[in-house]
Amino acid sequence: MFIADIRKDFYEVVANQRVVLLVAPDIDALCACKILQALFHCDQIQYTLVPVTGWQDLGTAFLEHKEQFRYFVLINCGANVDLLEMLQPDDDSIFFICDTHRPVDVVNVYNDTQIKLLIKQDDDLGVPSYDDIFRDEDEEGEDSGNESDEGSEPSGKRRRFDEVRIKPSRSKREWEARSNIGTLMLPEILNELLNFHLFSCQAAMMFFELAWVLTKDTKDMLWWAIIGLTDQWVHDKITNMKYVTDIATMQRHVSRHNHRNEDEENSLSIDCMRISFEYDLRLTLYQHWSLYESICNSCYTSCSFKLWTLNGQKKLQEFLADMGLPLKQVRQKFNSMDMSIKENLRDVIEESSNKYGMKDIRIQTFGVHFGFKNRFLASDMVHATAALLESAEKDDSETDTFIKALDALSRSNIDRLHSGIELAKKKLIAIQQTVASCICTNLILSQGPFLYCYLMEGTPDVKLFSKPMALTLLCKYLLKAFVLSTRNKRCKLLPLVIAAPKDVEKGTVIVVGIPPESETSDKKNFFGRAFEKAAESTSSRTLHDHFDTSTNNAENRFLDGKLFLKYTEREHCE
Amino acid sequence: GGLCLHRENEAKSEGRAELIPSIKLRHCCLLRNQRCVTAYLYDRLLRIRALRWEYGSVLPANVRFHMCAEELQWFSQYKKSLASFMRSLGGDEGLDITQDMKPPKSLYIEVRCLKDHGEFEIDDGTVILLKKNSQHFLPRWKCELLIRQGVLEHVVS
Repeated sequence: MFIADIRKDFYEVVANQRVVLLVAPDIDALCACKILQALFHCDQIQYTLVPVTGWQDLGTAFLEHKEQFRYFVLINCGANVDLLEMLQPDDDSIFFICDTHRPVDVVNVYNDTQIKLLIKQDDDLGVPSYDDIFRDEDEEGEDSGNESDEGSEPSGKRRRFDEVRIKPSRSKREWEARSNIGTLMLPEILNELLNFHLFSCQAAMMFFELAWVLTKDTKDMLWWAIIGLTDQWVHDKITNMKYVTDIATMQRHVSRHNHRNEDEENSLSIDCMRISFEYDLRLTLYQHWSLYESICNSCYTSCSFKLWTLNGQKKLQEFLADMGLPLKQVRQKFNSMDMSIKENLRDVIEESSNKYGMKDIRIQTFGVHFGFKNRFLASDMVHATAALLESAEKDDSETDTFIKALDALSRSNIDRLHSGIELAKKKLIAIQQTVASCICTNLILSQGPFLYCYLMEGTPDVKLFSKPMALTLLCKYLLKAFVLSTRNKRCKLLPLVIAAPKDVEKGTVIVVGIPPESETSDKKNFFGRAFEKAAESTSSRTLHDHFDTSTNNAENRFLDGKLFLKYTEREHCE
Repeated sequence: GGLCLHRENEAKSEGRAELIPSIKLRHCCLLRNQRCVTAYLYDRLLRIRALRWEYGSVLPANVRFHMCAEELQWFSQYKKSLASFMRSLGGDEGLDITQDMKPPKSLYIEVRCLKDHGEFEIDDGTVILLKKNSQHFLPRWKCELLIRQGVLEHVVS
């Protein structure tokens, strides 16, 4: 069930209890986790934090802790499956789920007792009404009686959950044929709902609002909430419109926190943390790099200029000349550039960018600074933390990297953050080079209903791409670049599936699918179902372990076969 | 001192006064050695006393191995003195002054588990699973021992 009052129904419930936090491996979850930890520290609520990288981890962690803990808080995992079915908990386990994955499983929505969703209900969830899906045992007459009849009696208002059964899906074949999309057949509602995967409002924001309601919000928490929002934008999980709306919400909080500074100029020391609204350039990490490198390795500029072609390189030179920036300056570290150039840089770049067709070179975001040296934009933090989270060091397990990334979000661990920035630079360079080589060597094949790209084992930096976020980022950049460089009109509207080797010894691959590139995309991703179906039909073992259903681990065999094409086509018809 | 004097007198009475400087020198050496040994033993004593404050009342076997019987006896008597002193403070219950040697900033601290340690019991009987890379927010005094042993690491944020 959805929680109405997060303070009363969540925070006060766990106030004197001990809680397990199960956190998924994405930046928004990390930020949400930091905010919640800070709140728990304030009120001395004892907790145990366990990072979980997929459904299996979640199951294991639950089994390990279910004896000792009653309350579980799941961050960015658990909303989109039938959690009770999966974990089979005892009756007194309570789950608080704050998850950005949509759609929310209907069982989670309608369970009154054990599942509490920390999700805003005014989100466009499209959850069907209770009566459309469930039928109570009292009502059913003719249905098959394999559930116990004399079982437990409904105790008045609150029904025990096993008494209610989901109406049998009348038509598996109806679903597969996908005819009659017009006439809504009742079980179809469920199937329609489950066919896509989407992200929605960020977990970090949810917990920040909790902190705000408790008036325990601090600038650190606000900054983490901003990073969570920016993560969703950087990894292309939300639409531009939503991003702008949420930025406006954040801006209100930022103004509220900055209110003290406005009256007396020098009241706060330089070491205090200041968050400011910035209408800054869309050049990734440019303040920690050189301007030139940043332009070459940011998706937006690289795709606009088509920097993988000679023509593109020339255009870049013209662009720089147009702005009057000497090459020598531009290749230097940003901090060492002349002050005279840095002063009006943003306006100068914006003006020139407009001439070259880049209308959105500036984006609304936030920056932080504390101390003389430490200035960071929210997107810098996202890239750095993501690089740390997915760093491919040999002796680091996934939980090690999780801990490192979590540490980097604290202001006292600036070194960690800087090392993350360096890793992020390498990652971006690797992505750009891979994109360039894929486009130039025509590695992207059109397989009928979708585009397909397979990164061979020997590809440089392929280890970086054995991780889901990095591979997804590569996939998106690749699709953008491809759409700009191909002449085939039909291909521009196709989705892209990319596969990369995950574990060479075991012969597994990681597969990611993204919807087609479009201006008005609502970011719904249909590949979860497609992968499941294709796996069944090719009878290869797949591990649908990731919380994000558009990513999948599979055996090499999964990619062979026309059946893979067939099911992906079915899934993708719009 | 007494022996030296005795020898000296012997030497004088036997008319071999030239031996007196050697006697004195040898005696000084003996005294010096005695002082060194005493200083060493005293230093050991101070360290054994410090062990009570560092390890608590039960010493690890590898430390006990290096102590002689008298030192062990001294240690147990020191323990008793300290215990009766602590009992005499703070009313009925006594006060454990070996806890919180530095004033704590908070009652609860965040710790990170560095290696798999299995289950760990806290006061009210509840058990926590200490798995590598999990983080926990626990009462400070419960964690101190494990922090010293290197199983947990205090996370400062």
